[in-house]
Amino acid sequence: MVNDARVVRPWNRRWSSGAVYVSFLFFTFVVLLPVYWMVRSSLAPAADLIKVPLVYFPAPTLRNFVTLIEQVPFLDYVRNSVVFALATTLVTLVVSFLAAYAFARIRFPGSGIIMWTLVLSMALPDVGTIVPLYRILSSLRLLDTIAGITLVLSSALAPFTVWVLVSFIKQVPYEIEEAAIIDGASLLQIFVRILVPVTRPALVTMGLINFINAWNNLLYPLSFTTSPSSKTLSVSITEVFAGYSPWGKPWELIMAVGVTMTIPVVILVLFSQRAIVRGLTGGAIK
Amino acid sequence: MHQAYASGVVRAKGQPILLALSKAIQRRYVLFLLLIAPAFLLRITTAAYPILQTIYLSFTNLNLLRNTNDFIGLQNYPAVFNDYGVREALSFTIMLVVSSTVLELIVGMLVALLLNAAFFGRGFARTINLIPWAIPTIVAGYAFRWLLDDQFGLIPYWVNLISGARMVAFIDPVSARIAVILVHVWKDAPFMAFIFLAGLQGVPLDLYEAARVDGANAWHRFWHITLPLVMPLTITMGLFRVVWSLGSFDLVYGLTQGGPGVATSVLALQVFREGIMFFKFGFASAISVVLLLVVAIVGAIGLWLFRRSEVSY
Repeated sequence: MVNDARVVRPWNRRWSSGAVYVSFLFFTFVVLLPVYWMVRSSLAPAADLIKVPLVYFPAPTLRNFVTLIEQVPFLDYVRNSVVFALATTLVTLVVSFLAAYAFARIRFPGSGIIMWTLVLSMALPDVGTIVPLYRILSSLRLLDTIAGITLVLSSALAPFTVWVLVSFIKQVPYEIEEAAIIDGASLLQIFVRILVPVTRPALVTMGLINFINAWNNLLYPLSFTTSPSSKTLSVSITEVFAGYSPWGKPWELIMAVGVTMTIPVVILVLFSQRAIVRGLTGGAIK
Repeated sequence: MHQAYASGVVRAKGQPILLALSKAIQRRYVLFLLLIAPAFLLRITTAAYPILQTIYLSFTNLNLLRNTNDFIGLQNYPAVFNDYGVREALSFTIMLVVSSTVLELIVGMLVALLLNAAFFGRGFARTINLIPWAIPTIVAGYAFRWLLDDQFGLIPYWVNLISGARMVAFIDPVSARIAVILVHVWKDAPFMAFIFLAGLQGVPLDLYEAARVDGANAWHRFWHITLPLVMPLTITMGLFRVVWSLGSFDLVYGLTQGGPGVATSVLALQVFREGIMFFKFGFASAISVVLLLVVAIVGAIGLWLFRRSEVSY
């Protein structure tokens, strides 16, 4: 009776759940420390950032955001970022969905090879093409426009999106479309009435991932935009960093731009964690 | 080829082969091509054609500021490898990829085991695990730079309170490199954790039961069951991630701007500097080609690992 497993287990379990909680706390601390520091600095009066001992919880103020609006065309940058991210998401989804449907449903000689060429093209490093892209955009008069960076980034995001969407469309039973075809539905009707509703979870997932990728993108706006009419927040944070205040870098302003850029992605993550993870792992997490 | 086409024309009663195919198949092929056309048009104009251009430009001395544009053969390449900035960037790029990948695999696995354990707060842990992935890399770079600021940063302040030592992260090349690697791990390990977690959830529980009955301890179960099963997914997704990060410079741009000197510069940053900031298009293109070769080598190693991991179970 004494060496019954039940006698041993409670001790064992208590010990291991203790270890789990210690690691959980450590994990939470490490993940959230930079976020806390950023929020704290963005809400602090500038003078509070250069006090020792450090001020952990300064009296919060929105002064830094007001300064940004007054000194840089901050609202323009916010608008540009929103337009750029939404447009890129839309273009990527439409273009990828059409191609993914073709790969998943239509028999065509060599379609497997064509698809893998497309998917593998995502291995090309983005930065390896910026010099020619600069010249191409310039000759198309798309330099310093949101349309230009939207096209370039949509193209970069399409291969992964196609790859994930193909596996999702393949999971939709073909009988539904077949029935629609027999009923005489056109391709457009099949897309709008059947495929889009049925693959909506996959479209939402890839929409979220592409939105976050576009919102966070630095390379293309930094390389191809020069005026406030097309610069995004990611460019603006590098410019605020390049500025000097009398006592060094204007960290309260840099962190205020950082917080502005972080709020939308954190909100998306909080509300659609499962959908995002499903897409990141190519549908492997249920 | 030409002859085959011609004979086909004759054989099908004067009709070309394509017309001899049934109307339904023809329509299907046209539809296929129409549907993939937008994606391929984008890829060809913004990836395939530019990459060929990059290779061509690497043989020229195109420079917008000096106004030169001649074909100079391979002359850029010795210049690239003799360039101090490029050499430092190349060695740090390799150092960063190797060390951060190894650390991310280890940390990612540990985090995945935590996220897979049953405890109160797991949902919260899984949600915040997405934050490092979702936060813009450039913002993470600046946030850590400020967190590590030698005068008013939180971490040096705490180090000073505890040990009395003065921590200076970004002036010494070695500590700056360590900082870049660790922040890279902070940013990317959570992504690896989700990949591992997906693998862990796919492992059938009865395998563990069977192993337990056979007397395998926790470490054996992890090494012989869990790891082989999660490896293929890890390598594919990890590879995409590594290749993706080879082509980007956001983190060092925010964290160190490649400094001190060029100690933490990466190839991608050198391409951007030489090309977009100094308009040395030919020289920058040659660095791009070097970067392409690095990506190809990393990709080949990844594929080799993937093959091996598939065989092993």
